[in-house]
Amino acid sequence: MIVKAEPKTILHFIYTYFEVLRDLFDLQQDNGLIRKEGLNDTLNQHKKDIKLQLLEYKVIRQVNDDYEFRDVYYKLIEFVLFEFRPLLPEEIDKFGNSITELFRKIKKGIDQDRNILLERIKALSVQIKEFSDAVEKNSIRLLNETRELKGNVSRIDYKEKIQKASFWIEYYIIPLNTILDVNHSQSISNKLLNISEFANQRRLNYDDEGVRQAFEKLYHVLIQTNDDVLRQSKILTNELLPLIERIRTESMILTGWIEFLKNPYKVTPPKFLKTDKDSPYSNKIYLNTIEYFEQFSVADEAIIEADSEEMERWIFKKAKYKEQLIKSLPVQSFFDWVNKQLKSEDKHITNEKLFALTCLLFEDDLEITSYSKDSTVKIKTDTTNLNVPKLKVTQNGIPEES
Amino acid sequence: MEYPKNHRQIVDDLTTGRFVLSRDKHFEELVQQEEFYAEFFKISFDYNLTITTEYAYLVSKETDENMSRDISIFFAIFCYELDKQGKNFLDGLQYAEYSFEEINLLFDNSSYIDLIQSNKQLKDADARRRILFGTMARKNIIEKISEDRFYFTPAYKVFVDFAKTLAENKLVESN
Repeated sequence: MIVKAEPKTILHFIYTYFEVLRDLFDLQQDNGLIRKEGLNDTLNQHKKDIKLQLLEYKVIRQVNDDYEFRDVYYKLIEFVLFEFRPLLPEEIDKFGNSITELFRKIKKGIDQDRNILLERIKALSVQIKEFSDAVEKNSIRLLNETRELKGNVSRIDYKEKIQKASFWIEYYIIPLNTILDVNHSQSISNKLLNISEFANQRRLNYDDEGVRQAFEKLYHVLIQTNDDVLRQSKILTNELLPLIERIRTESMILTGWIEFLKNPYKVTPPKFLKTDKDSPYSNKIYLNTIEYFEQFSVADEAIIEADSEEMERWIFKKAKYKEQLIKSLPVQSFFDWVNKQLKSEDKHITNEKLFALTCLLFEDDLEITSYSKDSTVKIKTDTTNLNVPKLKVTQNGIPEES
Repeated sequence: MEYPKNHRQIVDDLTTGRFVLSRDKHFEELVQQEEFYAEFFKISFDYNLTITTEYAYLVSKETDENMSRDISIFFAIFCYELDKQGKNFLDGLQYAEYSFEEINLLFDNSSYIDLIQSNKQLKDADARRRILFGTMARKNIIEKISEDRFYFTPAYKVFVDFAKTLAENKLVESN
């Protein structure tokens, strides 16, 4: 691949057209590549006809009819914009494999060719730095994603929020945490600790000074990386994971509440104790009674309408009726007399009036005689037809005049 | 037969529908004697005893649905409105103190105002005061700090778990 242009020309080109490059970068971030139409639209919007230079300076390359940034420029723009693509844990884990393999070969060839040993130590250093960078970029990106989710910038509903939070936790955060967890025997952090221990010994006791110095450099890279990884691990476990777990839990609870509030009377609420078995002398009765009555204390508004017609309340004046009864003695049929008496006062004969007057039968100075068993009188009140015995009333001790 | 030391208080509290909280002196005894009390309440009253690390309460076969529903609506609206204001409602339930006035404002300005006004226990300030400082305080769901201030006890988790279960069912349904 030959680039004809001067390096400064290319850098100047990037500087001059950075706004265009940024929009193209966004397109590639969203779609994985820059569609032909997307490229043309962006260039037209900015009124910059730079397609040829983009290809000539090897900033983008053609993929069938579409385009994409060359990796080096993509990473540059990603880095300067601080907009990293979240790496899948598998992408980070690959550093673990190369680090393990290089370390294995360094140990195996420790007393063999000096030059290849030095090259391997250098390569191991590069891999460790790249691993550290990848972890840091990922933490930044995941934190941004999580905070965006928390702030709900995209205005997504709670259900989608749960799904997004679960997705980040399951596919990114937990696996990344495993990679960084120093207590996990297979984690990269654990491997780095082993390498660090090895490098520490060799930087002191290797015969060749050049190799000793190479181990010394590697050792310092490892100390720095271990610190960085530990810091990232803490961000992950202390900040990121609790934050996203909380988003998931809160969204879950709110989804439930919204579902409940749609029709709270259709859902069976949590079950509790029904306290309805108290005796009046129980010491709990006071509070429970208050609670019971509180349920009804906020009754709906009630309107009392005045009676259209005032009824005079009937009062049983025993002395008056007794006097009238005595005046009418002898009475051949007590209930007929009652009927007639009440009708003379008011056309309404009620059971209440009839039974009240019945008490006259129990007066000591009156003698009650019944006729034969079947001799009855029919009395009609406002509500009832009564069949009552025919009773004769005379004054006690005074024989009936013949 | 020897009964646990605070037997009467344990039975009294639980059979009046209160939550016994981990801070209560008789909670530890209840936890230690869980097997005994579970059997005691089951055989004596046919009640089921629930004990978590933070609270204990009884459940009967027949249940006071209205009260439970009103309190659930209270929590649902409280969480929803707090979230709408951008606050972490779980922190709000766990750590914060509230004045009655704050609760009133939340409810008066809620988008669920129709539901609130149709509910006798929540429809106005007087009703809310009664359910909050009456029913919920008596059941140990809130703790009164003063005549006007309170905080939630861990008993709120029963209601939050209820919401989680509803959400889980909803997610299963929609998948």
